[in-house]
Amino acid sequence: MDDIAREYLPIIIFLAVAIGLGLVLILAAIVLAVRNPDPEKVSAYECGFNAFDDARMKFDVRFYLVSILFIIFDLEIAFLFPWAVAFKDISMVGFWSMMVFLAVLTAGFAYEWKKGALEWE
Amino acid sequence: MIQADLNIIMPEIILSLFAIGALLGAVYTSKDKMGPMLVWATAGVFLALALWIGVNGQGTNPAFGGMFVDDAFSRFAKVAILLSSAAVLVMSQEYMQRKGLLRFEYPVLVALSVVGMMVMVSAGDLMTLYMGLELQSLALYVVASLRRDSARSTEAGLKYFVLGALSSGLLLYGASLTYGFAGTTLFSGIIQTATEGHTSIGLLFGLVFIIAGLAFKVSAVPFHMWTPDVYEGSPTPVTAFFATAPKIAAMALFARVLHDAFGSAVSDWSQIIALLSVVSMFLGAFAAIGQTNIKRLMAFSSIAHMGYALMGLAAGTVLGVQAMLVYMAIYVTMNIGTFAFILSMQKDGQAVTDIGSLNQYAKREPGKALAMLILLFSMAGVPPMVGFFGKFYVLRAAYDAGLAWLAIAGVIASVIGAYYYLRIVFYMYFGEVPDETLDKSHSPVLWGFLMASAAIMVLGLVNLFGIEGAAAAAAATLVN
Amino acid sequence: METLILFAPLVGALIGGFGWRLTGERAAMWITTGLLFVACAFSWIVFLTHDGVTEKIQLLRWIESGSLSTDWAIRMDRLTAIMLIVITTVSALVHLYSFGYMADDPQWKEGESYKPRFFAYLSFFTFAMLMLVTSDNLVQMFFGWEGVGVASYLLIGFYYRKPTANAAAIKAFVVNRVGDFGFALGIFGLYYLTDSVKFDDIFAAAPALAETTVHFLWADWNAANLIAVLLFIGAMGKSAQLFLHTWLPDAMEGPTPVSALIHAATMVTAGVFLVCRMSPLMEYAPEATAFITILGATTAFVAATIGLVQNDIKRVIAYSTMSQLGYMFVAAGVGAYSVAMFHLFTHAFFKAMLFLGAGSVIHAMHHEQDMRNYGGLRKKIPYTFAAMLIGTLAITGVGIPLTGWIGFAGFASKDAVIESAFAADPMGYAFWMLVIAALFTSFYSWRLMFLTFFGKPRGDKHTHEHAHESPMVMLVPLGVLAVGSIFAGAIWYSSFFGKTNEIASFFGVPYAEASEHGEAKDDHGEAKDDHAAPKDDKKKKTSYAFTGKPGEGAIYTGKDNHVIHDAHYVPTWVKLSPFIAMVIGFLMAMCFYIWDPKMPKRTMEHNRPLYNFLLNKWYFDELYDAIFVKPASMIGRFFWKRGDGDVIDGTLNGVAMGIVPFFTRLAGRAQSGYIFTYAFAMVIGILVLVTWMTFSGGAQ
Repeated sequence: MDDIAREYLPIIIFLAVAIGLGLVLILAAIVLAVRNPDPEKVSAYECGFNAFDDARMKFDVRFYLVSILFIIFDLEIAFLFPWAVAFKDISMVGFWSMMVFLAVLTAGFAYEWKKGALEWE
Repeated sequence: MIQADLNIIMPEIILSLFAIGALLGAVYTSKDKMGPMLVWATAGVFLALALWIGVNGQGTNPAFGGMFVDDAFSRFAKVAILLSSAAVLVMSQEYMQRKGLLRFEYPVLVALSVVGMMVMVSAGDLMTLYMGLELQSLALYVVASLRRDSARSTEAGLKYFVLGALSSGLLLYGASLTYGFAGTTLFSGIIQTATEGHTSIGLLFGLVFIIAGLAFKVSAVPFHMWTPDVYEGSPTPVTAFFATAPKIAAMALFARVLHDAFGSAVSDWSQIIALLSVVSMFLGAFAAIGQTNIKRLMAFSSIAHMGYALMGLAAGTVLGVQAMLVYMAIYVTMNIGTFAFILSMQKDGQAVTDIGSLNQYAKREPGKALAMLILLFSMAGVPPMVGFFGKFYVLRAAYDAGLAWLAIAGVIASVIGAYYYLRIVFYMYFGEVPDETLDKSHSPVLWGFLMASAAIMVLGLVNLFGIEGAAAAAAATLVN
Repeated sequence: METLILFAPLVGALIGGFGWRLTGERAAMWITTGLLFVACAFSWIVFLTHDGVTEKIQLLRWIESGSLSTDWAIRMDRLTAIMLIVITTVSALVHLYSFGYMADDPQWKEGESYKPRFFAYLSFFTFAMLMLVTSDNLVQMFFGWEGVGVASYLLIGFYYRKPTANAAAIKAFVVNRVGDFGFALGIFGLYYLTDSVKFDDIFAAAPALAETTVHFLWADWNAANLIAVLLFIGAMGKSAQLFLHTWLPDAMEGPTPVSALIHAATMVTAGVFLVCRMSPLMEYAPEATAFITILGATTAFVAATIGLVQNDIKRVIAYSTMSQLGYMFVAAGVGAYSVAMFHLFTHAFFKAMLFLGAGSVIHAMHHEQDMRNYGGLRKKIPYTFAAMLIGTLAITGVGIPLTGWIGFAGFASKDAVIESAFAADPMGYAFWMLVIAALFTSFYSWRLMFLTFFGKPRGDKHTHEHAHESPMVMLVPLGVLAVGSIFAGAIWYSSFFGKTNEIASFFGVPYAEASEHGEAKDDHGEAKDDHAAPKDDKKKKTSYAFTGKPGEGAIYTGKDNHVIHDAHYVPTWVKLSPFIAMVIGFLMAMCFYIWDPKMPKRTMEHNRPLYNFLLNKWYFDELYDAIFVKPASMIGRFFWKRGDGDVIDGTLNGVAMGIVPFFTRLAGRAQSGYIFTYAFAMVIGILVLVTWMTFSGGAQ
């Protein structure tokens, strides 16, 4: 029991700090911020749309294309970081695996570019 | 070492490279004009790969430390997937072209989805499983909404996507529970933890969530709700595709997870599968009765059929898996024929899906009506059509495994189900004179598939074209 | 040659049944008839050249399943040979006769084709009957047995527009089912006990069966007796013995040639044939044979009494047939199988002729069958009259008493039966029943003659005026049969009822000079009937006894069975008794119908209950109706209305029209189209599965 508690202690500390910091920030906003509310300000922000509205509205699909592209390459970076950190220890297989991964992503990017998804007009 | 591993997954690599190459090649050249050519090329590649896998493959070859397994079972499933996908692709070409839907992405997406399925059936690890599953699902979400200017089609795609995401979530949750309690994601490791009667409750919860995720893919009740809407909304060739290859893949994956990873806890999952099976059979039968749209009807029909296939799995024996494989092979063949018929149903160039339009059909096209009659009888399980033997196999497997109640339920459900199949036959042969009649179809491809499928349903009763032996071998490698 | 005999009628039946549209009606009829005459000719050759040695001709292997092995084979011995000539001769003549009789029939409309069908049925019947008598095993025999049943059913119901004919056909079929059930049980029993259905194996096992006990119907039985009784139950059905006889009179609904062929000469004698064929088994089943004797004697008596008062000409002959079958069973029951066959043989001739003669009368009288509407036809149809007269003389057994064989066919054989009955059980039940039956036989036969051919014409005047002699095709068969009726008895007397060695060589049974025991018995018989001792025995001191083992030769007679031998040494008064009975019967008939035509009416009024009792056939039909038919139909109605109608149909309809649509609606409503409903269903589903797993999973 003791062992388990000790193993999880850093996590508990981490949690405590996170909750504490969160509370401090929110409370600080309440205490310190200047309040000058208007309807636009108090409504929730939702990617440029009204938060409570008909879901079946028309919107420009290009926003989504850009954001999806962003997410894809964002994730690519998420894969690249651990790979880069451990680069010293992984074999050639590791290296080429990442190359293949990047190549596939590039192929997708090339398709997208040629398809015209990146042109705003 | 890595060379050997790559050799084992060579079919998947080839298909992936083909898909990427086709995508880039088409987008940088003539774009959609290449559609028809790509369809045929993809179908050709499918056929070639099926031939290669079917002829060359032998033995059990694990790759990447057991994450990927190439054995008789996966080869059986792969050949079935490739052949049925090729058939559906060839059938869909004409329809898609007529509707202006034949974008070059369509065959590429199908190819990618097939890669996903091939990975699925070879999965030896929870991660491989998830990867394959998502690869095929994502491609399917897109093809479901291929007709993007149609509200129904986009609705179908979205529904499929949202519910698919939910099911993926369930599956992932189950996988993480399993990993947490077994300490490994490899099937061969899980099976050592999950021993009969001593399986921890956490592992069982993991199993239940994984089953739920997979049940969504095979559209077993109560994870079936997406099926009718997606079948109805998607373009008909896509529906045909949904009804065939992905079902085999998901069912094979189901069998693999249950036997490879949880094969030592058969009694635990067998009852759950039996429950899914019985509710699927009954709901499929009951709900289909109320349908007038033939695509929705086929959706419920496939739900019921999945119930029967699950019955084979529920047996938890070699015979059960064999029965399931035979059943799936027969099911796919019947569905290809039936969808070939549905694809040819049109009036003034518009696709018709109302079964009322089939009134008096036998008067106008007796040959096709007869073929359809055979297929419907086969689906209803009327002897001597091959469909009867499929049902017979699973019923026997269930009975042998001591699930007599399940077998009896299956028989009752098939009696109820026979109603809606026979109703179509009734319309075709004895229906009232319709106000408007369907056009005569002049597609030799569709005609050929319809007739071939019907012929198989009749001729197959000789020895089921030897599929039994292959299925037995496949089942034997899976179940120890 | 045997194969040819067997299959000629089948070919005929196929051509007549299916090919007549190609060949034409007339050609089909001639082909079937011609083929039967061919079969008949070959049969006579076979019969006359047969040396008594049993031959087997295997046609094909039929059923091979485990230890059950059945060949399709012809067993050619004397019994078969006798049956062959009886069947083919009568059948050929009936075919010929039918040309005239079926020429025009009020049952059918103009242009309707019924004749080829009729001939096809007749030929098919003949084939099945030949199948029965030539069989080498019980399964093949059962096939023929059922085949003749089917043919009989089809022919009784030939006039399918007549409800009574249909009812009679069904009745015949159903009553025969009862008997066949016994027969089938007997076959199963034999297979169970001897592991074979072949005659050779069964006969060889017969002595062992006599020592076996089997458990059946909550009791232990002697195997031989049980099997013999079961087989006899089959014979009872087919041969219309008492309790299973009610179908035979009704079977007269069929056309008259059919009655002559099936319900007089051949099919109904199949039971007698069966008992004789199974003689090796019967010899080891004393209780069973006693039962056969008593039942046969009772049938002979009961049928004769009923025959006394019937008015339908065909029914009189039908009861007469039943009565004569009783005689045959008595002979078989007491162990005088050759005598039974003898009577079967002669009876076939004169009974077929009586029926055909009756048919000729009916034909002449425009399908009028009630004898009360006949009278004085002697002059109108003289040939028919002559034939009927010969038949009557034959059936009543007219001959020179004490010679044994000089007389009409029936004289020789019937006296032989009565003597055998006496020899087996002096002054016994069977003997007296048969003698009384002989008296009645004489009475009703002569009554038939007098009512039909003598006296004043009664009934419809117009019909009488137009009464005409039948055409040649009908008279020729009558003539041929008349020859048989006169001479058949005398010619083959010694073969069937001669000395033991004669019979033995005729039937191919091994024999030897009698052992001491036999001698002693001989002497005993001689001493007892000194004054009546036949001359031939005095001349030759040697006597013979059957020595064959079961299965050797056509019939088997046990070591202690001396009935036939003893029958020759019965007292003189016994030998005279049937003759006296015949004369009394004749005189009574004269008295009633010639000298004093008022007398029948008077007697009837004085004995009204007895008369009604007889006229209503001892109320058998009414009794069966009350005991079996009504309850069965009540049970049937219950299961139909309540069981099938309410429970099964009701449940199915309830399910199909109530529950299924309900669930269908439910499933349809669940399919709302909203994603949240679908997701909710999934969540509920996983909840149920998890709960289930928690409570019943492997962790528990």
